Amino acid sequence: MASRGDRSTVVHQITALASNTFKEATRSRVFYILLAFAVALLLFSSAMGFMAVGSIRRVVLDMGLSTVSYFSAMTAIFVGVGLIYREIEHKTIYNILSKPVSRTVFLAGRYAGLMAVLLVNLAAMTAVLSLVLAFFGGFTPRVFAAAGYIYLELLILTAVALFFSSVTSPVVSALCTAAFYIIGHTSSALPDLLVPYLTSTWERRLAVGIYHILPDLNLLSINNLVSNNIPTAHGFAIRAVLYTVLTVAILMLASALCFKRRDLV
Amino acid sequence: MDEALRLKAVDKTFRGHLSIGSHQVLRGVTLTVPRGVIYGFLGPNGAGKTTTLKVITGLLFADAGEISILGQSVEDRSVRGRIGFLPESPYFYDYLSGYELLIFMGRLQGVPAARLAARIPGLIKAVGLEGKDRLQLRKYSKGMLQRIGLAQALLNDPDLVILDEPMSGLDPIGRREVRDLILAMKDQGKTVFFSSHILADAEMICDQVAILVKGKVVQEGPLESLLSSEVQFWDVTVRGAAGMVPPPGCSVLTRLGTQLLIRVDREETLQDLLDRSRAEGASIRAVVPHKSSLEDLFLSHIPGEGR
Repeated sequence: MASRGDRSTVVHQITALASNTFKEATRSRVFYILLAFAVALLLFSSAMGFMAVGSIRRVVLDMGLSTVSYFSAMTAIFVGVGLIYREIEHKTIYNILSKPVSRTVFLAGRYAGLMAVLLVNLAAMTAVLSLVLAFFGGFTPRVFAAAGYIYLELLILTAVALFFSSVTSPVVSALCTAAFYIIGHTSSALPDLLVPYLTSTWERRLAVGIYHILPDLNLLSINNLVSNNIPTAHGFAIRAVLYTVLTVAILMLASALCFKRRDLV
Repeated sequence: MDEALRLKAVDKTFRGHLSIGSHQVLRGVTLTVPRGVIYGFLGPNGAGKTTTLKVITGLLFADAGEISILGQSVEDRSVRGRIGFLPESPYFYDYLSGYELLIFMGRLQGVPAARLAARIPGLIKAVGLEGKDRLQLRKYSKGMLQRIGLAQALLNDPDLVILDEPMSGLDPIGRREVRDLILAMKDQGKTVFFSSHILADAEMICDQVAILVKGKVVQEGPLESLLSSEVQFWDVTVRGAAGMVPPPGCSVLTRLGTQLLIRVDREETLQDLLDRSRAEGASIRAVVPHKSSLEDLFLSHIPGEGR
């Protein structure tokens, strides 16, 4: 059983590592270039929305939220996959793990730091989208709720990227995490697409079983509901939070187990 | 218990994918570092020094053997709170300033904020970085990085300081400064265990050494017991003796005009040489006795290099 002193030290170490990860990102020119690019992309997609046929408000909201979602996901994947690998490659990890810092604490600190960076990134993009919508009279507070759910998705994606980063190279990690993201956004269609064509009960059960094993990131998205002004189902938020917490816990545990006895050559 | 560090029969093999291309780096490394000494861990490049240090600091895992640090097992992470470590050619986050790095490392060590604030200025002064601690590390020279690395290794006031090639890549002034810092650590009662292939530095400051060759400790012990106190040979410089024939047992190393540099390996032969030189009216400019050095000891263990 960990004592209060041990717990306090662990909290201090995670905070120190997270704060350092945050500094690493925010003191890099790349962070600001990415942020500026995201804002430009957001403004561009909003402008495209005004040229589209149909409800301008709906199209701008739809394109804006999609841009925020995709760009945040790409940032999480591309920064996340280098999170551990870069520390090993640059040998900065030697100074950290030779101190009384557990490898699990190291992973947790790096993860928390990147999540803080992604939060700032998401907040900036949501603020720009809100301003654009407010300018054209289409603002809805549900934009913030949609951003909240995007953040839940980022929590999972970053944990996936961290897991792959702790066991393999950034290129392989990026491919695997991107595959997870694509599967996560298409798996929900599996039962609807396949089941009508399956004749036997066991085939239908197998298809549904496979769907339950695969990640389903659409369980966390309300972008379509917000842009079409449809209310979210009762209990959606609780299910989404539980799904995120459980998935992140499993991924972090897997990362910790893989990283625990890894030689840092 | 007066051992700071003990390794017993430590093995380490690096395995390639599917165990293809395995390479055994450490072969039963055994050594004991008493408390309060400066201990040099010497060996040629590729001998396994850095691997040994990484195994001690928990960055690599030994395949076999026992490691005890300050009486605790290497598996006990808390012992790392009592050691300070400087990796070879230390890499730090170059976007941090020296001061920020020390704060960060101190927080990881669990040093309370108040103690950290009180300790950092003294450390910065001790390593000679006063006025430079607010600069970003990307603006530091190699010597400055080595010094801030030493400061971070001392943040927690460790009992055992482990340094991997602390003088490597430094100019003579930087090397002297690091040597002085190591001696100061010993004066403070700390044990210093450092790896090096710079034998002159090690010979100057080490109380004890171990020599590692191809993953095996081939010699270990106090420096004075490893090095012979007997004179091995003498180098004699004689001037005004162009036509002189040295007595048997002497070898002429160089001949510059009337000046000869002659090596003699027996005391009786030296006496004969001095007598003959005086008899022929030559002046004896220097007689330099040579004892065995750490370099001789070191080279005697390297295949193809022994004298």
